Amino acid sequence: MIVDELLHSIQKIPAFPGTVQRVAEILSHADYSVSELVSVIEYDQSITANLLKMSNAAYFGSRHRVSTVQDAVMFLGQENIIRAVVASGVVSFYRNRGGYGVKGSDLWRHSVGVALMSQILSKKLYDRKDGELFTAALLHDVGKVVLGEYIDRSFQKIERLVQKEGYSFLTAEKEVFGVDHAELGGKIADKWNFPPKHVEVIACHHRPDRSAGERIAPWVVYLADQVCLMMGVGGGSDGLAYWGLKEVVQMFKLRQRDIEECMIQLAQELALAEDIVNIFHD
Amino acid sequence: MAECIVGISDLKVSNNQEDVLITYALGSCIGVAVYDPQVRVGGLLHFMLPDSNLDVDKAKANPAMFADTGIPLLFKSCYRFGAEKHRMVVKVAGGASILDDTNFFRIGQKNLTALRRIFWKNNILIDGEDTGMNHNRTLSLRIADGVVKVRGSNNFTRKL
Repeated sequence: MIVDELLHSIQKIPAFPGTVQRVAEILSHADYSVSELVSVIEYDQSITANLLKMSNAAYFGSRHRVSTVQDAVMFLGQENIIRAVVASGVVSFYRNRGGYGVKGSDLWRHSVGVALMSQILSKKLYDRKDGELFTAALLHDVGKVVLGEYIDRSFQKIERLVQKEGYSFLTAEKEVFGVDHAELGGKIADKWNFPPKHVEVIACHHRPDRSAGERIAPWVVYLADQVCLMMGVGGGSDGLAYWGLKEVVQMFKLRQRDIEECMIQLAQELALAEDIVNIFHD
Repeated sequence: MAECIVGISDLKVSNNQEDVLITYALGSCIGVAVYDPQVRVGGLLHFMLPDSNLDVDKAKANPAMFADTGIPLLFKSCYRFGAEKHRMVVKVAGGASILDDTNFFRIGQKNLTALRRIFWKNNILIDGEDTGMNHNRTLSLRIADGVVKVRGSNNFTRKL
């Protein structure tokens, strides 16, 4: 059975870098200690290198070269440190892992877009940028990393279900493989011992109505994903073949123009997105 | 051959015979390729939203973001290179939608409606199109001969 093969291959996925969770935990306290943060980051060479690269990226336009972690932490500020550290930890799972008709860098580009959009939406919907959501949003499609090669091999079968039978891409995955990419992603996050909130966001990012415990977060990431799919940010062969759920409109009291305004905002942040995409995917 | 990438909410015009203008990942957004075969000038627009009334300041700063400001700018930019409206060949791709029975997410359809309304008002005919459905597209225009290609689902490429 393919489903057994897929579940087995999850066991071979490398552990999630501990530094990322440690940094997230430190930054979750408003009065975090900079020196503690610096010492945790410095312990991890690749995260250190990426943090410095991000500090010197065109988007931030630093006039002086940032060359120490201490300076980078001061320069970037809490929000961008978490972005840099999480991105740095997550990107390795996307590297050299294509699928869905696109390269790994496109899956990565889409993930970065959804992560940034989840921030734009949470600011608009409940007036705060939910840093925690950034991690889950960046990982929402991690199941595609495992499912990718199977999708490409069985694409014609899936495409027929989508085009002729009116299946969503997600349902077609489930039908052909016995498991879909959201479900697989949830299992990966679970294996990494992620908090239940993150597991649920990832597992329910196409069907937030099926989320048992979490009421808001899966809906925000769901909406961020749908909007990025519409905007074509790193889209793959699954395209836009997912269901729009009308509950999201009532839940957030959304108007069509709210969505369009968020699209404009993301379009303006695409320069930042490209910086993140390129810095970490070298 | 120089590949000139047109990003989201972006437009490029060229009369350099070496150029291929290309835009990737059209979802709900629409790509408009226009070409005057006599002077061999072409332009490619990738607009994202139908109506600039949403944000007039953004539309001023970046007219290519909206159908109603981007399309006129695309044509005018070609005229500057000697193109003339009556000779222009017009091809469009994109405007896909996610599966939706609520009309809420149908930005692709709204984009298409806006595009057709603008073309209708200005007496412009569409010479080729690949629109709607629910897959991503890549659209390219070769300046040397005006060949427009669209790559859609399953990476299948065809001439438009």
